[in-house]
Amino acid sequence: MKNYYDITGDGGSDILEQVQAREESVARSLSGVRNLLAVGSGKGGVGKSTLTMQLACALRELGNAVSILDADLNGPCQARLGALQDQILVPGERGAPVPTTRNGIGVVSMGSLFPEPRAVEFESVAAGSSYTWRATKEFTVLRELLACMDWGKLDYLLVDLPPGAERIVQYAELLGPSALFVLVAIPSDMARGVVARSIDALAKTPNQILGYVENMDGYYCSDCDRVKPLFPAQSQVKLDLPCLGSVPFDPELAALCDRGGSPSDSPALFSWQPVRRIALEICQRVSERASTLEERA
Amino acid sequence: MKFLCVSCDEPMKLILAKPPERGSLTVVYRCPRCAHEIAMLTNPYETQVVGSLGVKVGGAPIGADDTAKCPFSDVVQGLSADRQGSSALLPWTPEATSRLENIPEFARPMAKTGIEKFAVDRGLAQIDAEVLDQAKDFFGM
Repeated sequence: MKNYYDITGDGGSDILEQVQAREESVARSLSGVRNLLAVGSGKGGVGKSTLTMQLACALRELGNAVSILDADLNGPCQARLGALQDQILVPGERGAPVPTTRNGIGVVSMGSLFPEPRAVEFESVAAGSSYTWRATKEFTVLRELLACMDWGKLDYLLVDLPPGAERIVQYAELLGPSALFVLVAIPSDMARGVVARSIDALAKTPNQILGYVENMDGYYCSDCDRVKPLFPAQSQVKLDLPCLGSVPFDPELAALCDRGGSPSDSPALFSWQPVRRIALEICQRVSERASTLEERA
Repeated sequence: MKFLCVSCDEPMKLILAKPPERGSLTVVYRCPRCAHEIAMLTNPYETQVVGSLGVKVGGAPIGADDTAKCPFSDVVQGLSADRQGSSALLPWTPEATSRLENIPEFARPMAKTGIEKFAVDRGLAQIDAEVLDQAKDFFGM
């Protein structure tokens, strides 16, 4: 009697072919993207989303074509940060055109499609078991977003990752080996301990981590025009990565971002300059990496 | 998953995939040699495996409408109703309908009602490619 491998084809279910076709369509859709840059941490609440939008603004200011994919399906922030809430997708001739912010940054976020305060719910035909299928469904939706959007030609596609140190590997696999990572930490042992786990997890992938950003490195007080400590002591947890720069917590910048404003419109903001320096550092490291790859080729 | 007709030692072919009913999918296979037919009846968990991948068994829809296999069906259906408001349903030309396939499946119901509202607000009678282009410009894409 024949076994599974004796039989060619799938008898007509076409499931494997469809899954493969979807993966190929992601590669096609991203063919115009020069650099895929995932911004993650592993830890929640460290400012990944805000920093992602700020970096996008800084990269844009440097003359790059930039879009953001908000991969946090359940807690999307990029639509609010880009003032693109309640934005429908309109089908174009090739995929769906990416909604853009006032300053020209493309943003794809579930926050545009599912207005607050509605929670994103995952359907389950088996009652009470949505948790069982959640990861598969999330990544199916992300793959569909990657494949269907008309990303066009981009210098940078930033991917704002949700928390979860172990899940960062799954995002690396989804985005492919050429995706670069920037990790966001804050000066606390608790947060840096989780970031260290993300570094360990990513070490098992072929993906390169460009470095980490020390976010909330102090608190900028506009009254006395200086940065004050936000955390009690220097963190004891060392991260075995280059530090791309540090950004103090700046209430004015946070308020601006909440309103969907672009920090590049307010260049006098204290914390904007550190973000610009980090963006420059990222560009330089990306450029050096490209040169190295070219030499090897 | 493949099915083998044991008597003929012949792989069976899918001939029918019916939409899920109470979470159970019916897929009928036939042996091309002896015409013996069997039906695979999935339990809800097995159905969910396929639905979670966002694919269609045999290329046929596993659900009754566009949203049936969408991972966000419940929310999408709720939002569609919310966003319909007072807008009437407008006819879509085949070209416009075809273009709707270019956006992620879970976003289609919302896009459809949003574009129809855009058209109704402008006194348009149908959705065609030109209306889609106007909507694209209006929404800043």
